[in-house]
Amino acid sequence: MKHKNRSLLLYCFPALLLYATFVLYPAVGGFWYSLTNWNGLNPTYDYVGFANYRELLNDQVFHRSLRFTFRYVAYMVVLQNILALTLAIIIENLRRFKGLFRTIFFFPNMISMIVGGFIWLFIFTRAFPFFANSLGIAILGESWIGNPQYAFYSILILSLWGSVGYLMVIYIAALQNIPKPLLENARIDGANEWQINWHVVRPLIAHSITIGMFIALFSSFKVFDQVYALTGGGPGRATQVVSLNIFTEAFAMRSRYGYASAKAVILFLIIMVITCVQLLIMKRKEVEL
Amino acid sequence: MKKMVIFFMMFVSFVMLSACESRSDSDTIELNVFMSFPRFQEEFEAYFELFEQKMLEEEGIKVKVNLEMASSDTAQQLLQARLSSNDAPDLYTLHAIADIPSYYDAGYLADLSDATFTELVFESVLESVTYDGKILALPLESLAWGYLYNKDMFEQYDLTPPLTLSEMENVVSVLQANDETPFLLAFQESWIPQLMMALALGAMINSEAPDFIDNMNVGTGSYADISEVFDIIDLIMANGTDRAFETGGASGSADFANGEAAMWVQGPWMSGSILEVNPDMNIGLAPLPVTNNEETTMINLSTSTSLGVSPTSENKELAIKLLNFILDPEHSSSLFSSLKFAPLATVHDYESFSWTDEAMTYVEAGKAYLERPLPPGVTDETAVALQEYYLGDKTRQQVIDAIDTAWRNAIE
Repeated sequence: MKHKNRSLLLYCFPALLLYATFVLYPAVGGFWYSLTNWNGLNPTYDYVGFANYRELLNDQVFHRSLRFTFRYVAYMVVLQNILALTLAIIIENLRRFKGLFRTIFFFPNMISMIVGGFIWLFIFTRAFPFFANSLGIAILGESWIGNPQYAFYSILILSLWGSVGYLMVIYIAALQNIPKPLLENARIDGANEWQINWHVVRPLIAHSITIGMFIALFSSFKVFDQVYALTGGGPGRATQVVSLNIFTEAFAMRSRYGYASAKAVILFLIIMVITCVQLLIMKRKEVEL
Repeated sequence: MKKMVIFFMMFVSFVMLSACESRSDSDTIELNVFMSFPRFQEEFEAYFELFEQKMLEEEGIKVKVNLEMASSDTAQQLLQARLSSNDAPDLYTLHAIADIPSYYDAGYLADLSDATFTELVFESVLESVTYDGKILALPLESLAWGYLYNKDMFEQYDLTPPLTLSEMENVVSVLQANDETPFLLAFQESWIPQLMMALALGAMINSEAPDFIDNMNVGTGSYADISEVFDIIDLIMANGTDRAFETGGASGSADFANGEAAMWVQGPWMSGSILEVNPDMNIGLAPLPVTNNEETTMINLSTSTSLGVSPTSENKELAIKLLNFILDPEHSSSLFSSLKFAPLATVHDYESFSWTDEAMTYVEAGKAYLERPLPPGVTDETAVALQEYYLGDKTRQQVIDAIDTAWRNAIE
């Protein structure tokens, strides 16, 4: 047994080496920089202890970006999973063209979100006003990028478009794994469609819901490219998510790498705590066959 | 079996590591140049080939110039990572006004005061790459800018570029009366609204408020002292095109070229993309009036992209030769004119653009000033605050407070 573990570890070694060099080492380095006042340019910097973290407590701009991110995450986790599950159920119940629809809905996932962002930027700023004029649909004529209220939904639409397909595939796989006899038994016992879905299907795909929630949670906390491509955090700072706030702190403004690293550490802690809690709660609801 | 696996792993990592090192001939000197203009890749590659030939013919040195072009979005991050990890390119581009002070203070710029190119560059341009009494870079892009206007439209309504704020109000009302939009607003990218403040502030500190920067730097000043700058900003914002936040630089250029508005607070660096949409467009360039005092209406002279040399470069002499070659009497004019850069040295004898000539008429009349650097972060904060001002999220006072705070933080 011991021998087997060791050879398994060896197989993981190249990936582990790369992971350690390119992810773990910079992450630890980032924590170290968060205790300094490095500006990303000077060869020297000073150790400042937890001064950066203390400053974060009163940073209104950072707090605002945190609130915006939480709101975004809340919408994303719910909508992404509901939409993905709905699509999965619909596609699974199709008689024909299953593969076609699966491909169509999964397709946006293969496009880089920066590219997707520019596609949607064109739709929001050029196509929407055009349709608003020609078809007389007033809502399309709103300023979908320039008005902070609408800009939030624009980002949501782009993010859902890009990410729902991935979760949908996970849910399709889960649905296909449910043994057909179980469903037939339930039907023979007189359960209707809704009861079957709720009492039989739901517990059996609970592990996929855990994964779906997990993916949606941590990926939406880290959201960057969608916002960067679509609104750049604007107008003003109205749609600035945390990762964009960190980015501008480090690479624009005053190039405060140390301070930006402190923000990144806080974001990491938030994501870690929330996903851990989520996993603990959801794991309890899963059943094994 | 186990040994074989270990051996295989070691082999793989060896191959991976050795692939990182590139081989080169020992008698060839390599010169690494880092630039932030991907759109000029071909022009610079061709020009550096000329340099390689010249070195081989005249001095018998085999030179290989490795040109690395980074997109302007990421160039600064890439460069800073290089510099701070002791992997500096021999030559690299940086912004003369914004970057030279901090890069020099960090020890990343070599003193070029003795290089021969310094004798060729115009005095006013050379001043913008001088810091701490030393010349630290070769200027590439020198600018004389104000706002752009549609010459044909101005002629059609018999207008001339206004020299005072009330004349500007008059121009605006004439345009409005003829159903033309006076100003193009392209506020999606925050650096564009920021240009209004750059021009208005520059005009004020070089005329009515000469002590402004000094006062700010000792903590006694405030943007409230020069609140006049908001008069012109308000006028522009109130008489601009719709959907400002959905228009960026590129679509703004297209809109301006198509005559959607008569004026655009934007520099001549956009002329290329404007002419691409409408090659027959007559672009005018004039200084932005800020107050009713004609003296404050001036052209901004500035230097943006410049080429510096790393002090750690092993081939510093050759690097300086390359800088001198960029102002080579025989080849420099064709390079600068193909890049659409304004002439900045005595060796430049190409015909300049109509808007540059127009700006120069103001400069020659003494109506110009040299841009001064603001502390890091102030321009970025101004950019965002002005977006929020247009949106109605921030009042004038809140904008003033936000920029004041950014300035205070920067000088702490």
